Amino acid sequence: MDVEVTQDYQCVGKSCLLLQFTDKRFQPVHDLTIGVEFGARMITIEGKQIKLQIWDTAGQESFRSITRSYYRGAAGALLVYDITRRDTFNHLTTWLEDARQHSNSNMVIMLIGNKSDLESRREVKKEEGEAFAQEHGLIFMETSAKTASNVEEAFIDTAKEIFQKIQEGVFDINNEANGIKIGPQHAATNATLAGNQGGQQAGGGCC
Amino acid sequence: MYHILTKNTTVTEHNRNLLVETIRTITEILIWGDQNDSSVFDFFLEKNMFVFFLNILRQKSGRYVCVQLLQTLNILFENIGHETSLYYLLSNNYVNSIIVHKFDFSDEEIMAYYISFLKTLSLKLNNHTVHFFYNEHTNDFALYTEAIKFFNHPESMVRIAVRTITLNVYKVDNQPMLHYIRDKTAVPYFSNLVWFIGSHVIELDNCVQTDEEHRNREKLSGLVAEHLDHLHYLNDILIINCEFLNEVLTDHLLNSLFLPLYVYSLVDQDKGGERPKISLQVSLYLLSQVFLIIHNAPLVNSLTEVILNGDLSVFSAKVEQDVQKSSTKSGIRCFIKPSESLERSLEINKHKGRKRQQKRPNYKNVEEDEEEEKAPVEGPEGTEGASKGTKPSRENEEIEMVIMERCKLSSVKEQNITDEEKSAAAARTSIWNRPFLDLVYNALECAEDDYYALFVLCLLYAMSRNKGMEQGTLERIQLAAHDVEGESAYNPVLAERLIRIMSCAAQPDGKIRLATLELGCLLLKQLVVSKHGSIIKDVHLACLEGAREESVHLLRRFYKGEEIFLDMFEDEYRSMTLKPMNVEYLMMDASILLPPTWTPLTGIDFVKRLPCGDVERTRKAIRVFFMLRSLSLHLQGEPETQLPLTREEDLIKMEEILNLNNSDLIACTVITKDAGQVQRFLAVDIYQMSLVEPEAARLGWGVVKFAGLLQDMQVTGVEDDSRALNIVIHKPASSPHSKPFPILQATFIFSDHIRCIIAKQRLAKGRIQARRMKMQRIAALLDLPVQPSTEVMGFAHSSTAAAQHLPFRFYDQARRGSCDPAVQRSVFASVDKVPGFAVAQCTSQPGPSPLSSPSPPSSGSTGQCDSAAASSPSTPSVVQSPSEDTAASEQPRAPSFGQLAIADDSPAPLSRSGKGLGRNTDVETANLSPSLIPAPQPTISLIATNSSDSLGIESLTLVPPVDTDCILAVGCAPPPSAESDACTEAEGSSSSHSDDGQP
Repeated sequence: MDVEVTQDYQCVGKSCLLLQFTDKRFQPVHDLTIGVEFGARMITIEGKQIKLQIWDTAGQESFRSITRSYYRGAAGALLVYDITRRDTFNHLTTWLEDARQHSNSNMVIMLIGNKSDLESRREVKKEEGEAFAQEHGLIFMETSAKTASNVEEAFIDTAKEIFQKIQEGVFDINNEANGIKIGPQHAATNATLAGNQGGQQAGGGCC
Repeated sequence: MYHILTKNTTVTEHNRNLLVETIRTITEILIWGDQNDSSVFDFFLEKNMFVFFLNILRQKSGRYVCVQLLQTLNILFENIGHETSLYYLLSNNYVNSIIVHKFDFSDEEIMAYYISFLKTLSLKLNNHTVHFFYNEHTNDFALYTEAIKFFNHPESMVRIAVRTITLNVYKVDNQPMLHYIRDKTAVPYFSNLVWFIGSHVIELDNCVQTDEEHRNREKLSGLVAEHLDHLHYLNDILIINCEFLNEVLTDHLLNSLFLPLYVYSLVDQDKGGERPKISLQVSLYLLSQVFLIIHNAPLVNSLTEVILNGDLSVFSAKVEQDVQKSSTKSGIRCFIKPSESLERSLEINKHKGRKRQQKRPNYKNVEEDEEEEKAPVEGPEGTEGASKGTKPSRENEEIEMVIMERCKLSSVKEQNITDEEKSAAAARTSIWNRPFLDLVYNALECAEDDYYALFVLCLLYAMSRNKGMEQGTLERIQLAAHDVEGESAYNPVLAERLIRIMSCAAQPDGKIRLATLELGCLLLKQLVVSKHGSIIKDVHLACLEGAREESVHLLRRFYKGEEIFLDMFEDEYRSMTLKPMNVEYLMMDASILLPPTWTPLTGIDFVKRLPCGDVERTRKAIRVFFMLRSLSLHLQGEPETQLPLTREEDLIKMEEILNLNNSDLIACTVITKDAGQVQRFLAVDIYQMSLVEPEAARLGWGVVKFAGLLQDMQVTGVEDDSRALNIVIHKPASSPHSKPFPILQATFIFSDHIRCIIAKQRLAKGRIQARRMKMQRIAALLDLPVQPSTEVMGFAHSSTAAAQHLPFRFYDQARRGSCDPAVQRSVFASVDKVPGFAVAQCTSQPGPSPLSSPSPPSSGSTGQCDSAAASSPSTPSVVQSPSEDTAASEQPRAPSFGQLAIADDSPAPLSRSGKGLGRNTDVETANLSPSLIPAPQPTISLIATNSSDSLGIESLTLVPPVDTDCILAVGCAPPPSAESDACTEAEGSSSSHSDDGQP
């Protein structure tokens, strides 16, 4: 399943989130900021092996064709803003409209307030994030790529939501344009997940 | 670490984990080095670590190591911040060796990591770094050439990555590199791309043609989105504006795809023939998309020329030329029809594939690589290179041809074709042999339905809005109004067809979808409105007015006194103004490709299908009415004065400071959900209820802390507290995604039971009256005639009441316009009346009549909708009070007292100047007297109980219900003689007003 991670500004930390999720061995020990634009990981949901492929939309905003294609090829999206920067939050509406317009209407969108470790510099209240998510029908979570808090949950919850939609038959798994495909082994599913954060998107796939 | 690598040069099962961990750690250290200490890089370079990487790759080290290595490189390149570090990493050509390494691309994960690696690299490209990838001497550009091999990979994410890479490459302004791309790769890549798109289109067409019962929609929307992706991609390339790349690309697009496949299919719908064809609707649809998305001037202009002015010779002539050329050019086919491009591309793919196969297995060491790399590039280029040179010239010829045709056309243009001449005109146009344009006009005749018309409108709209379009191109068909030396002209044929679509939409059984109508309105505006205003001819305007008249008649059939009609009416207006049609979004929807349908079960948006059921027919009629009204006003240069029913400027706003002297205010405690508790005064205005708090500076003035529309309010009692009311006001949903959002959701606690009941009564009455007034205004908009009533007194009363409210809006406007406080006051004096009183005033001082003159349009029919609204079945339920049963017995008495009190008291607050609070005062004055009476009841409950038996007929026939009138009559009892006079007078004046008031 392909998931895309998107955001309209740099540095909200989506690529770090992605690396944190796909490769735990990169612990931010030496005070390093490391991120990545693509990652794949197997997870298990309800006993089914699912391969998540996560694509980051970083650096491609200048090409309209690319962003719109990413939205469309993804089964889910993580929309990431930085809780220490209000401008990243204010931009969500535009992003969301864009995503809704270009994506499959069934795309699961999760709203993520990243950098929850930086409580002292917080500019966006958790309640604001919750309210936004509720108004637009998104799932909401605050994470920290640094402390790994909620990172696992964010991706897995998104995957679960997608999985549930697959089970309900909302996604047509025979249509690969949805970002989901049946894997060769286990008759599992592939999906793409996309998220929005600081100008990056990632898509993922599950098997 | 270095030592580990030296010791473990061969990958075995055994050291796999160790190796992976080592590679990972190296990355981490390198990035740390980049961010902190550059000596790390020196060491890395010194020891030639990349060689180890390569060595590991070359051994068939298996997927695990491969993936880790690629991911490592990804991380490495992505996180390097310093240019110098990047140069270190890129020097020595090792990266290129990794790029051309033959990975196992059948493994989806390796593929994904590999392509993201290329993508990461491409993001690092700039004028300096490009030299590490592009070798001018050996003509090598592995990053690019390897990437484009995957342009049609089945995995969409891979295709997206390839497109990203190519765009990132084209973006780099490095002339030698771009020349290389044009000379060596552009032709094969673009021709393949074009073929790839073309074959998708044919699949799409198949999908449309074989569709039964809309079953292919899922697949269809995927294909349409794919096509859009391609167009956006092409447009992104064109926007980069690399001149010679654009030349090649434009040429390919025009001559291999747009003209032979899309445009040709417009005319030749014979099933036979060798050329591949797509159906008419698909080709129109796709062409609209092309014009909506691609704004590259040379491309759109040539394409438009052919569509508007070309004839079939464009094709035949070219084929002939091609034949000639192909003979001279030793068998190279220049004009690439899609069928041929299939062969060609297959051939190329074969070439490529073979070369790749040959090349890949040989990968043993770096030296060999470099020789081999050239092979795949030269392969396709060899076969393509020659054909490329001939193309630009062909394009020129084609344009020349078109220019010749232009001369013929100019004469046609001048003709003034009117209604009667239409058929003759059609004949004439066909004489001029413009098959494409003919087709466009013919499709606008929606005799059967608007299936094709919608696409044609989109196409015309897209063409006219295209930024790359030259003015002259469009003027030839006069698609937009233009003035030539004071004399203005537009395309009469087109205008007339558009108007016909409109009048068809206003027919009860018209099969025009709302989207078609809206687009038609847009186009017509564009067509006849020039810089200096509308230039529409009288005959066309008359036809348009006719259509509008019909839409009014149509809507009248649906006009009902039901409460829901008002909500629908306002909701439709809102959605029409808030969300004007976005043609680009419309053309993204694949569902319009299938024949128009009725049923909402398809999930197709309401505006893109025909209405189903009564409610939808009503909604459609409302929309048609709005659109034609707005169009007609626009073309006549008149401002809209009647819509929306609630105008922002009429409303009390938050933080506004009002003079509340003599206003009725009820003190209450407002408890909101988040446990906030504030002391406020409740005031009820004509359209709104507001919560105010005293203003510190001036006694008797208040600051509005909240204002919400009465019509959207719900009041319920609180079960265990007779002093409390629950009040919810919803804000109408502004977009389909957001739910109706409660702007107020609170419990109001009053000082005692009685004040609570009073407040409830005020609110409930206010709600009904607010709705009634709006219904009256709708009726006025629809020119509904006044129906004389036998209940003269009651009816007249209600109609005057309405007449009294309506001026309020206009007065209010006037008042706001002028700053004269005296005027203000007098306005309020005449306005701030309860029905009964207003009547009295009318008679006693005829003075107000000049003031009320602006209102007549709406006053005529108000009485009847008034009562209709009151009798609507849903009203009582909303205002139902918890104590209804106990109070029910007293109903008949209490309200009349209230009314009497109003009538008696209202003269007093005449001089009140509180803004828009007239209603308030009445309401509040009434307060006083009922408070003397035990357990007063809301008037509404009375209406509800009494009207229950007569409801059915009234709501249908619009005859004022008897009971309402009775109540009102009772209320008006005090000045009976004055009132009856007033009634007659009011009625007379209002009907006469309504006659001349409505155009």
